[in-house]
Amino acid sequence: MTSGTVFSGDDPRQLLSDTLDLTRQVRRIQRATWFPLLALAAVTFAAIPFRYSPHRLGTCAATETARACTAYPTALLVYWPTALLLAYAVIAAFYIRRSQARGVGTRVRPYAVAGTILALAMTGSLLWTLYHPLAFTLGGPGLFPALNSYPLAIGLALVVLAGAERNETLLALALGYLAVVLMTATVGSISDHGGLGFPVQLVIPGSVLLLGGIGFLLAQRPWRRAV
Amino acid sequence: MTSHPANGLDDIVHQRVRLGILTIAQEARRVEFSYLRDTLGLTAGNLSQHLGVLENAGLIAIEKGYAGKRARTWVTLTKAGQAALEDEIAQLKLLISRIEPAPSL
Repeated sequence: MTSGTVFSGDDPRQLLSDTLDLTRQVRRIQRATWFPLLALAAVTFAAIPFRYSPHRLGTCAATETARACTAYPTALLVYWPTALLLAYAVIAAFYIRRSQARGVGTRVRPYAVAGTILALAMTGSLLWTLYHPLAFTLGGPGLFPALNSYPLAIGLALVVLAGAERNETLLALALGYLAVVLMTATVGSISDHGGLGFPVQLVIPGSVLLLGGIGFLLAQRPWRRAV
Repeated sequence: MTSHPANGLDDIVHQRVRLGILTIAQEARRVEFSYLRDTLGLTAGNLSQHLGVLENAGLIAIEKGYAGKRARTWVTLTKAGQAALEDEIAQLKLLISRIEPAPSL
């Protein structure tokens, strides 16, 4: 099989142009953006039932001027880090298997490592905040809910993936996703689990990931043989 | 007097097939022999010769192994290879800037 760019001359302009074509060709073959997006959409939607588990973690605290309480479903606190670590392992295995089949290496390791670190850091941050409710009174009512959101960790890791894949479209999607996450985080919070806010925090970011995944799936068409 | 940019070109790198190999190896963490052969439209023997030149110059590392029962040869760009490729691209751009007329104002 002979395909794509074959260097065609020693003219400097032609050499540079062919180099750029080859670069684009390799990047196109390396990318499998649809897979992590769809996997993480599934992880996000699967989190919704855990919101209804009856056992909650949290506490209340008060000063002379402020009082705040936190409550977070225990099952969800177990689900998120477990599901995310599993998802990043599956995504890394998928990329590696694909790269072996196609003969072109992949740079998925920074993404899997960043995703894992962010998932664990988010768990630590969430646990700390749950037992320091007065943190909610700092920086305005939306700051801590926004910073203690697993979808935020997913979005930050997607920025790393965009860099690893040198994928500007994914970078735009990741930044848009982060904006959606930060906006929806203020709808409900870990101090407000009785209301409707929490499912919205998952349904909307999950839908962005799902639609993005479908978009990349149609654009990258993995069922076509690589050329 | 500054020397002409053509004098800065490395004969090992400034060759269309070897430049292609280095370009692909830079993008991929590592690349398999058959992918290089197919993408660059070469015979196995021709590709092996070019890989030998690059390996002897320390610009790539070659690793042989197996994927299941299939023998595989993987090519990785070395730091020297990365520097040589960047230098070649810079020299090419300099050459182009010399031969292209300056835009009129």
